[in-house]
Amino acid sequence: METTEIIEDKNITVERTGEEIRKLFFKNELCASCGLCEEICPVSAIEVEPTGAMVRTEQESSKINIDETKCVLCGMCSCICPFDALDLEIDGESIKDKEEYPKLIKSAEIDDELCIYCKACETACPQTAITVSRELPARADLVTGEIEVDKDKCIYCGMCEEMCPADAIYLEEQIPTSDNPEVASDIIIDEDKCVYCGICKRICPEDAITEACRICPYGEYEIEEADVTGSSIIDDELCVNCGWCQEICPKDAPTVTKPFEGELTHDDEICQGCETCVMVCPCNVFSFPQPSKSGEKVPKLFKDERFCIYCGACEKSCPVDAIEVKRTKVNYTPTKSKAWQNAFESLKS
Amino acid sequence: MYINIGIISVINTHGDSMPRHIVSGLKYIAAVNLRKKGHTQKKIAEILDMDRSTVSHYLNGRNVSWTSIEIAEVITNFCPKDFMILTYALLKDREQTRNIIKTCSARRYEAFIKDSCIGCALCVDNCLMNAITLDNLRSHIDPEWCFGCRICETECPTDSIEIKEVD
Repeated sequence: METTEIIEDKNITVERTGEEIRKLFFKNELCASCGLCEEICPVSAIEVEPTGAMVRTEQESSKINIDETKCVLCGMCSCICPFDALDLEIDGESIKDKEEYPKLIKSAEIDDELCIYCKACETACPQTAITVSRELPARADLVTGEIEVDKDKCIYCGMCEEMCPADAIYLEEQIPTSDNPEVASDIIIDEDKCVYCGICKRICPEDAITEACRICPYGEYEIEEADVTGSSIIDDELCVNCGWCQEICPKDAPTVTKPFEGELTHDDEICQGCETCVMVCPCNVFSFPQPSKSGEKVPKLFKDERFCIYCGACEKSCPVDAIEVKRTKVNYTPTKSKAWQNAFESLKS
Repeated sequence: MYINIGIISVINTHGDSMPRHIVSGLKYIAAVNLRKKGHTQKKIAEILDMDRSTVSHYLNGRNVSWTSIEIAEVITNFCPKDFMILTYALLKDREQTRNIIKTCSARRYEAFIKDSCIGCALCVDNCLMNAITLDNLRSHIDPEWCFGCRICETECPTDSIEIKEVD
């Protein structure tokens, strides 16, 4: 039996070979330095590097240190990490797939039936975990009409081309020669792009264009309803279950379940406005309020608790102790182990 | 990994063959104990990984020196941890060590696992007797195989194991 540690690219692997092979993986990139692993470790093998300085300058070392002489590879850190930065595998199987281990109940899903692919969640997601791809109908399918250029009347002045809001008109320009004294060889209207607005007709100095929109003068034609198809995908590895997508969605399509419940308090008197919490928070809970007019006094820091998952990263990093994170509930799957239950419950403040 | 006992150097001063003599002493004691329990010679040969004829010789008091048996007897009366470590050092085979210890140890032990057990399985890995299994993130020690070396008790990171000798 032997315990070894390998650190590669700031990622850590601790391995113990015995009756079974236990491997603990730490992915530095996913870690938010919240310190929950350090708090739960029953043998004090984990130490989280101070975050204050780390957020400003790219650190040389991993965000956490694991002492392999102390680590017994029990997997508590892996089950409590709200960011899945730690994972324990026993004989190649993650303990998150084993029933006897308690795990945090957390999820984020987008209901495809309700989603209209507006991309608000994609824009708001602090972890860029959401990808919305959508397919819009062809413009020509939503409008119908007729347009024609009388090429005998057209003098190729190009005014229609310049004015067309849909870039549907194209002049094939040329340098006139004695042999062919014309400024353009042809004028082309792309009917797939044309929206039959009539601007070209109105600007044409020669009345060379005839255009009729079938909708306007004659009332509604049978034009198919615009059909937008697409998909909205959440990358579970990157998602931190902050709830931004749920709050910003105009259609209530996302449902987010958070791992912890609690209370976040911030003392604006003590706060120095150093921005550490703003940079540390994986959920974009904090922002600096901007005064709407000059001279207006605004708080140093603004927080919206709707996005907080109570991981405690801000509290841990605040250099002046202006933030307090209280956890009132830890949501986890049931376990028969008293020790594990006590460990999860001990994270409540 | 635990081996650092003075007796090994004593044994080694008696030449390379000394360990083999002690092993035959241990196997003699084991064979006699197994016979007392009613096992056939064939079964004894199987458990101790010996020839059937050797078993027969041993049981009839042939081919083993009395000095070897005397030393083997001293070893079986060591504290369980030393008995196990020395036997493992002599045999270099985990399965045989388990069988010899099980048949030569008269003492019985009972293990109590406290609620503080986190199921890290360190004890499972440490137990040379393969007496420990994990169930629902809690260790279970089989009293049939535990013979009280207490390595699990000492190494447990949460002090969750208590081994008691049963009268």
